This record gives sequence, C-alpha cells and structure tokens, in this order.
Amino acid sequence: MPPATAVELTGITKRFPGVIANDDVHIRVAEGEIHAVVGENGAGKSTLMKILYGMLVPDEGQMTVGGEVVSFSSPGEAIDRGIGMVHQHFMLADNLTVMENVILGAEPLKRGAIDRDAARSSLEELGASYGLDIHPDDMVETLEVGERQRVEIIKVLYRGAKILILDEPTAVLVPQEVEELFRNLRELKAQGHTIIFIDHKLTEVLEIADTITVLRAGRTVTTVDAGDVTAQELAELMIGGDLPSPSTATHQIDDHVTLSLTGVSVADDDEREALSDVDLTIHRGEILGVAGVEGNGQSELIETILGLRSTAGGSLTFNGEEINDWSVRRRRESGIGYVPEDRHRRGLLLDAPLWENAMLGHQTVEPFARGFLIDRSGARNATEAIVSQFDVRTPGIDTTARALSGGNQQKLVIGREIAADPLLLIAAHPTRGIDVGAQAAVWEELRRVRAKGLSVLLISADLHELIGLADRLVVMLGGKVVAKLDPADTTPRLLGSHMTGADVDNGEPAQ
Amino acid sequence: MNPVPLKESRALRWMIAILGLVLVLSVTQELARPETTDLISAGTAASTLRRAVPILLAGLGGIWAERAGVVNIGLEGMMILGTWFGAWGALEFGPWWGIAIGIAGGAAGGLLHAVATVGFGVDHIISGVAINILAPGITRFLSREIFAKQSGGGITQSPRVESVGHFDVPFVSGGEIFGWATPDIFGWIDDRGWFVVSDLFAVASGITSNVSWATLLAIALVPGTVYVLWRTPFGLRVRSCGEHPVAADSLGVNVYRMKYAAVVISGGMAGFGGAFIAIEQTGIYREAQTQGRGFIGLATVIFGNWQPLGAFLGSILFGFADALQLRDRTAVHALLLLTGVAVGLIALRSLKRSQPVGAGVLLLISALTLWWYLVTDSVMSELPPVTPHIATLIVLVFATSRLRMPAADGMRYRKGQE
Repeated sequence: MPPATAVELTGITKRFPGVIANDDVHIRVAEGEIHAVVGENGAGKSTLMKILYGMLVPDEGQMTVGGEVVSFSSPGEAIDRGIGMVHQHFMLADNLTVMENVILGAEPLKRGAIDRDAARSSLEELGASYGLDIHPDDMVETLEVGERQRVEIIKVLYRGAKILILDEPTAVLVPQEVEELFRNLRELKAQGHTIIFIDHKLTEVLEIADTITVLRAGRTVTTVDAGDVTAQELAELMIGGDLPSPSTATHQIDDHVTLSLTGVSVADDDEREALSDVDLTIHRGEILGVAGVEGNGQSELIETILGLRSTAGGSLTFNGEEINDWSVRRRRESGIGYVPEDRHRRGLLLDAPLWENAMLGHQTVEPFARGFLIDRSGARNATEAIVSQFDVRTPGIDTTARALSGGNQQKLVIGREIAADPLLLIAAHPTRGIDVGAQAAVWEELRRVRAKGLSVLLISADLHELIGLADRLVVMLGGKVVAKLDPADTTPRLLGSHMTGADVDNGEPAQ
Repeated sequence: MNPVPLKESRALRWMIAILGLVLVLSVTQELARPETTDLISAGTAASTLRRAVPILLAGLGGIWAERAGVVNIGLEGMMILGTWFGAWGALEFGPWWGIAIGIAGGAAGGLLHAVATVGFGVDHIISGVAINILAPGITRFLSREIFAKQSGGGITQSPRVESVGHFDVPFVSGGEIFGWATPDIFGWIDDRGWFVVSDLFAVASGITSNVSWATLLAIALVPGTVYVLWRTPFGLRVRSCGEHPVAADSLGVNVYRMKYAAVVISGGMAGFGGAFIAIEQTGIYREAQTQGRGFIGLATVIFGNWQPLGAFLGSILFGFADALQLRDRTAVHALLLLTGVAVGLIALRSLKRSQPVGAGVLLLISALTLWWYLVTDSVMSELPPVTPHIATLIVLVFATSRLRMPAADGMRYRKGQE
C-alpha cells in the first residue's frame, strides 16, 4: 500500500507583475518521506514553498494537507496545520536567547509570565529526542551557522510541525555541517516527519532525498524516485534540453589583455575563503562568461574587480597596470563599467528621477559634472541621449526610476554604463527578471559593444545566455575556476554538470 | 538553584560599588572644605533622587519605544504634554488624578508618534521632532484657553497645584506607624559627623526621608519594566519587534500592534515624568519647565545600554549633576577635582590596555582639569547650569563603544517585507 499523502499541490499558479513564478505546478509529497524540490534559480521553488507556508496566496490551484483542502492566508494558519518552514535566511533575532527565539509567539505561561523552566525543559527534550544539540540560554549572536539552523529546526518542531520545509538549507553550511544536518533530517524522518527540501546541489539531493521533483521556469518537469536517476540526468532535467541560443556572430578578438587576475584569493564576510587562487584573463572585444550556481564566489569576484572587496592574495591587472591598491572611484574612472545583479539595491535610486540615476557612478566626470558641481543641463542632455539610444520607454527623464518596468530600468542601467565608454563591462545577470523583448535588446547591445572592442565579464545563471553570448566560458564552484570551456562545443547539460559538481563524462574534467 | 559564591554575587558587587562611590565623594568633600559642604549630604541625596525621577521616566519611555524598534525623540514633547495635563488634572481633580491625566496626555503624544511611524511609516526622527514642536504649541493654546482665565494662572503658567503625599521610612528615617513616631536612625548617624560612615548614612537618610509616593511609584517602574519586558510573553514579543520584526511576523506576532502598544506606553512614561515635574518638583505648570529632560532621558537610554537598570543609574548621575548645580554652585568646583581624578584613572586603564594615544589625551584632560581646580576658587557662573549636559556628553563619549542597540531600531517596518 502506498503511504498516505502529506501534502498535495495541484495546478498552482502564481503571477507577479511581469513574471509567472509558478505555472500550473503539481507536487505530491508522501507522508514520512524526504522530498526534494530542485530547479535553477528563478525556477519558482521558493515561491512555491512560500505558498505552501502561507506567506503568499496562489492565484490558481489547490492545496491539500493530510487529505483536506486548505488555503492559507498567513504562516500562522500553516503552522496550525502542522507545517513549519526553515527559511534560507534565518529568521532569528541575534540579541535574544535561543529559548526566546524558539518560544516567541507560543510562550508557555505560568501566572501571566513566561514559564522559563517549562520552556527550557521542553527545548532540551526536543533537542535530545532529535539529536539536535542546542543550549537554550545562549544568545543567538554567538552561534555558528549550523547551530542557528538547528535552532530554526527546533523552532519549527516546538510548534508541533509534522511537515518541515527547508529552503536551501545547505547553501550556508560547510560540508561537516551538511553531514550533521543530514543526520538530523534522517532522524526526523525516522520519527515520522515529512520533509520538503529545496536545493540545487544535485549530489546532496541524491544523498538525502527519497523523491525528487524538478521545476523549470515555473513548471513541474517531473517527479522521480531518487534511486532511479543520476546527477547528470537531473542536471539535464533542471536545465532543459533545447531552447534556441542567442547565436554568435563572427568577430575579431585581439591579443590585448584588458583585465587579468593572477592567483587571486579573497575572503568573504565570514572570513571564509570565497575565492581561491583564481586566474582569469579577458581580451579586448571578448565576452567571458562565468557560469556557476549562485554563491560559489561570483559576487566576490565582481566585488574584487570593482575594488569593493580587498584581496587576500594575487594580483589584478587592468589595461597593463596593477590595480590592487586602486580605489573604486579610480577603477571606475579608468574604465570599468558595472551592471549589478540587483538593480534595485545596487543599480538605482528608485525614488530619484532618471536623470539623477543616469549620473550614478559617473557623477565626477563630464558630461555630468563640471569641476565639483553637478552639470544639470549636461546631465539632462546625456540622460535624454541614453533614453533614446537604448530605447528606455519612459514618459520623461524626470520620472522616478521606480515607475519604470524592470526591463526599462535595466536598459537605463546598461545604457548608463555603456554610454560612459568603458574598457571593461561587468554584467551580472543582465537579463534577470526582465521580459523577453528587453532581454533581446540587452543581448543585442552586448554584441554591439563587443564588436566595438569592449571587454565584457558576463555572469549569468541563464546557461543559454552564456553559451550564446560568450566567447569563452569558465565555471566556478566553491570559489575556484573548475572548468574552462569553449561555448561552441558546450551544451547546457555539460555546463550544468560542471556547475553542480556532478560527474562529467566529456569535456575537461572538474577538479 | 545552586548557591551563588559570595565573590560572584551581584548584590555584593553593587554594595562595593556604592561604598566606593561614597568613599570617593567623602574624600573629595574633605579636600574641598570649607568652600563646599554639600557635595555629599542628605539634602543632596534627596535632591538627586527628586531630580532623577523625570529623567528616569523619560529613559524608561525611551527603552519601551526603542525595544520595539521605534526611536522616540518625541519624548520631550510627550513630557511637555505631561506637565500641562498633569497640572490641569491636579487642579481639577487632585494630585493623583493629575499624575494619571499627565500619563494619559503623554500617551496621547505616544499614540500620535505610533500612528505616524508605525501606521504611516514616517521617519521616526521627523515624527519625533514634529511632536516636540507641536507639544509646546498645544500647551500654550490650552493655557490661554484654560489657565489664563483662572486666578494665579496665565498664558505661560498654571495656578499652584497640590502635590501628592510624602512619607518617611519607619525605623530608619523616623516614619510613623499608626501615629507612633519610630526613631530616625539614619539621621542620627548622619549628625555624628563620622568620616565616611556619616556620609553613607546621610545618603541613605536623604533617600528615605520625605519621599514622594510618586517617586516610589516611578522607581517601582524600573523592576516593573524589567519584569514585563523580560518575563512576559508581551515583553518578549515587543522586544522581538525591535530585533527582527520579520521573524516575529513569521511566527504570528502582530508586529504593528506590539509597536503601537510599546510607543503608547513610552509616551505614558514620559507623560508621568512631565506630570512629576509639574506636580512634585515645582508645584506649578510653567512653560518650558521640562528643560530638555526628555532628551537627557534619551541619553540615559543609550548610557544604560537599553536596559532599565542602566537608565536608572544614568538618571541618578544626571540627577546628581542637576542637584549640585541647584543646591550649591561651589560644589561644581569640587566636581572638577573629582573629574580630574576619574579621567586620570581611565587614562591609566587605557595605558594598561596599551592604548598610548588615548591614554595620552586622557592624561592631558585630567591634568588640565586638576590645574583648573587648583588655580581657581570657583567656576564661572555659566558652567553650573550646563553641568548635566556636559555630564551627558562625557558619559556618552565614554560609554558608546560597548553598546548594543536593538537591531531593527529606527527602521521602518512594512508587513510582508523580506
């Protein structure tokens, strides 16, 4: 007899302005299994889990929990149904104790006050029975990442959850912590809990999951048993077979090296090594594509080149000069352009008019400045030029950036950077979250500037974009360059295998 | 519960600290004789306590708001509302009603701040400043409408108001029990003039004689706040809103409601402080009589590291500076000696921690202060009135390094944000 269904999602659709995050998604999770949901970034995994946890309300579709049809309008209702979620970004207050974080909102009472003894003993009991090692009176700010995650799990169990959703739980963990987590998860499963596990590291998924559902571009691709599938097949399912690639026109790359990194190592915010011994070169008129699952050192690479992050070792050479000690401003003024991945937080001032946004990063140079004063009319004329040249659809340059659609915001950012006539353009996910038309325009623009001799460092999660645009490809995994590939004979499948560290049957071997 | 070893006992440490402080003050007092005799005395202690109460209440108000993540720079304005409504209530219904209505007036100011900052997402500083500007306008208007028509009142002040009762603590300060006068032990020892010992009992006598019931209530709010904020579900929820509102929301805590409640309580505390000034300290409502104590209260929040007990200690310090400048201006001169020695000690500590530059600067300040003390007989008349403010600045400069404010303090929160 097949086990009872714990959760079933049928025909779930969720639209955001301009994007369909989930499109007719079907998932059935059996009781007592570890069910992995895998997919690329932007495949709709997190949205789906937020719907299940009541943080988002679906536009269409039906959910059943334990056989009953439910609809949640808040996490509280999901908690009442025995569903708990461990968020990717921990929801813990640093300045409260472990115990306070766990009992918040469901405090045991004794004569109107918190019954601290009862709370402490129930925490210790939970910890002991699931093998989760925690100390109720520690301040959360003193805890390691792995401990924080255990607190999150305890928090969910404390509320009586039988169904646990874990959103990319391994993303922040080091390998030993991952092992510890998997031990905990198996223990939970042994005691009858159902676990829904979101991830895109395929080896991990195959290690822990019983059943795997693959999402791609907001749709369910398939659900398979973990025993019946290999990492390669999963990668292929995740990335999909045969979308048309943006084709590459023939052009000349000359020998002049615009940027080179030699043995560059960098530490991340937690003092862990984020880049180790990275070597890269970009020539004039070349697009170098960087592939990799997010969080494998790409952001640190960008920040290092821009000068936002200092190197722990190695050297950066830009246009023949070593730039390790250069300030961000000097690097920008000497010709490094930057299209940030999060245009809202790093690329634009949303509540400022377009002509002010067009100045950002170039506020010290003509035509935006004259001496130490801003040249208003120069800036406005330059903005008008960007708007018309890059086809930014806007009522005028006094409109705030917030009023523009994502695609037009992105065209403004790219136009701003290209109009400044840089030697090197760092483009991080330049087509993320924008519509197809704008996407084509961005691709066209990148090709045009390459033909003019601009060097582009293209970081993207869209493998077709990488293969279609780049002249050379590198793959980053765990802060290292693990593969250098020629896009002409690379498939998304091969790239996906390198990215996820799955075994590779052709191409250069991964480290 | 294991017995706490005596060496680690917190109570013991407090007693040692208090004794040390009295000793330092006594020695300074002896050195500074005969110009000043009031550096440490029953009168100064009583005055310190009385002066500290409004600052303490503003500080507690600040803690309530900031623990919930709302910066309340409008405490001063809420306090001003407290002075007016306190005096009006005392005139109409009696002093205790005055306190209650003063609290309500401050709470109304708090509600306004909550509607602006929590409801509409207005910047906390802007809303607070607006309340500080609005409050004197409202009270001036109300005074013209009400106090100006009463005998003894005017546009800027009320008729005199009656204060709430006072008491002496029985057995130690000669309080009465059922009409029987108990002995005044503290006062008796104070009169003996024993070095240090008498000073210690003078302080004890000062804070146990002729104490206003409102003072007692205010001080009870210190453990009261600790209890509610750290021992009840409501308090935990309020604090979680100041630390990580998104997490609180994800656990079903109504963040808006908690913030509203905390800011209204905050305003109520400030209003109590204002009512205390009008009813207990001066016995009259007078325009601008808060003299920036709301801001000093805010400083005690920071000085006290967002802890009620810390704010209490801060308010005592500011109360002491305030009391000295009021009672005995020559004592401020003696304070120079104390400051010089204290800064010198901090300099030595910096030296021990191998921070030569900081130590050098501090030693220079110490030397200059001591030199100033030695070559002058009194300080210029402008200095005493600003002593509390200078004390605020000095303390904040030295206290800021180890402070930990609520993580989401002052940030706008919208439900559903990430």
